Amino acid sequence: MLSLRIAARFLRTSPVQSALIAAGIAFGIGVQVFLGSLIISLQASLVDETIGSSPQVTVTSATEGRPVVYTDEVRAALEGEPGVTTVVPTRSYSVIATQGEESVPLQVTGGELDALDTIYDLSGRTIEGEASLAAGEVMVGRDVAAEYGLAPGDDVTLVLPDGATDTATVSAVVDFGAAAANRTLAFVGAATAAAVLGQAADEYTAVQLQVDDVFASVGIADALAAKPALDGLSVTEWQADNEDLLSALQAQSSSSYTIQFFVLVAVALGIGSTLAISAVQKTRQIGILKAMGMKDRGTGRIFFWQAAVLGTAGAAAGVVLGVVLIVVFGQVSTTIDLSPQWGFTAISFVVGVAVAMLSSVIPSRRTTRLDPIEVIQSG
Amino acid sequence: MADPLLAADGLGKTYGTEVKTVALEGVSFALERGEFASIVGQSGSGKSTLLNLIGLLDTPTDGSVRLDGHDTLGLDRTGRARLRNELLGFVFQFHHLLPEFSVLENVVMPGLIAGGSVDALRGRAVEVLGLLGLDGLERKNANQLSGGQKQRVAIARALLNRPALVLADEPTGNLDTVNSTAVYDLFRRINDELGTAFLIVTHDRAVAQRTDRILEVADGRLVQDVRDAYATPEARPTGGVAEGAGEAGRPAAPGSGEGGGGATEAAGEPASGPSGAPAERAAEEGASAADTV
Repeated sequence: MLSLRIAARFLRTSPVQSALIAAGIAFGIGVQVFLGSLIISLQASLVDETIGSSPQVTVTSATEGRPVVYTDEVRAALEGEPGVTTVVPTRSYSVIATQGEESVPLQVTGGELDALDTIYDLSGRTIEGEASLAAGEVMVGRDVAAEYGLAPGDDVTLVLPDGATDTATVSAVVDFGAAAANRTLAFVGAATAAAVLGQAADEYTAVQLQVDDVFASVGIADALAAKPALDGLSVTEWQADNEDLLSALQAQSSSSYTIQFFVLVAVALGIGSTLAISAVQKTRQIGILKAMGMKDRGTGRIFFWQAAVLGTAGAAAGVVLGVVLIVVFGQVSTTIDLSPQWGFTAISFVVGVAVAMLSSVIPSRRTTRLDPIEVIQSG
Repeated sequence: MADPLLAADGLGKTYGTEVKTVALEGVSFALERGEFASIVGQSGSGKSTLLNLIGLLDTPTDGSVRLDGHDTLGLDRTGRARLRNELLGFVFQFHHLLPEFSVLENVVMPGLIAGGSVDALRGRAVEVLGLLGLDGLERKNANQLSGGQKQRVAIARALLNRPALVLADEPTGNLDTVNSTAVYDLFRRINDELGTAFLIVTHDRAVAQRTDRILEVADGRLVQDVRDAYATPEARPTGGVAEGAGEAGRPAAPGSGEGGGGATEAAGEPASGPSGAPAERAAEEGASAADTV
């Protein structure tokens, strides 16, 4: 460990240079951690807002107009699939809601409130009234309520698919977090929907699923489609219908990766050039050590250790800096749920140290090639 | 018969490929264990090149060097580094101490390179420092010392691994007379007490006169190799450089060629020159050089 000892001494006897280079790494890794956590948080927030409160996988009958018979076997097949977190059978239909002379088409989803909450969080998103889907009750979106002056307790007339009319009482107004949903979604109880659709107790329009990793939905959908228990059923997942959102997320990731890549390149160049200067500054010492019998490998390792020490210290400081930035930024920002991404932070740390060590290759090689006679002769 | 400590055989060094500059040519000589010898010659004569080749700091273009029975010709850089560390100690004109380290750390460095620890080497380092009159300076930084002290620390460093041979290239070139004298006295004492062989490159004949054997290099060739008739501690006079050089007690006389005393050996070229008997010339020049010290 003589190389490490010498490396540490070289660093200690050039404190300003060592501090500058460590600060360079720290700022690079700090930006890396901050940017990465920001982008990941932004994406998570975006994904959560756009598809977090909607089914990511939907199972319907392969034959249009036919209900899904939700047997225990089907339920077990769906719930047993790894990655599936929520399974909610629903009944859906369209209505025209009329209020006075105004009318608006609504997409009604019927189900049990507890089950619907797991996907749509109706109770949590209720802004007026009290979440309830008892017989004759309907929950509507905020924009519909605002447009037609609906408040909890108001009656609304619904023109059903078969032309019949029904009257329902608004139990609660919900803010779904998206204008489109606020304008078009309405929820009723499972029994109400069954009566409208004429479905038996085990018949549903669709089974809606949520998964733990929304980007794994394709694989889960494929796995489900292959299950014998789900024969005659069609499985669709959100990505097939949301290419624009996907490409936006990918573009965001790509730009983030590009920025991070160049930050790392800048860090590597910074460390590499400073170490190269240090190698030149220490040429005399390296030559003397070699004259005394230190082997080429040993002297080369001095700069490797310098890079490792600087990289570790700098990257650790960078992680602290990045996390502090994220926490401060998260407290200032009310729109995005910002949090440090520990996995990404750990990767950034390792990458920072690795880049630092990689950038020691050139000074190490230069040192390895140095002949002691070059130093001794120059006096 | 045992191998000599050092055997140079037809050593040559040529620089350049298209325009060739011969720095050293056909140098052969052997150095026994415990010898105290010097290499003299004018600037550019090739004496430092010779020392660097012997010290395995440079590689010859011709000939070979055997060190303590090891043929160094086929050694790679690592092998040469190992031999340098185990067998040789270096003292240069410039002390070449590591400014980042304390006196003690500088002295133990060859031992650390050999795989030792500071704790294990501390005792020997303190002992060597004491021998050189540097007691109590262990913790000082190398930069805090005077020129003479630095050079003595460099000598202590050269001695730490108990090398069989110390190679010194103009070791007193940057020192004043008092310090120069002290350094040579030290060399001689270490030679006597530890049996360490010394090969000292100098352009100063007065200095060379104080060694037991003078190898003279001129124009890249070893032109003479003179052994002192009084090359035993008992026969040696005491005193400083100025006293010793060229005085009656220490004649660098060309001998009759008998035994080890006063032998002038033909080395590379016949040991004769325009100025007559080489050792006499050496003695004269030594005396005049000593006057200027």
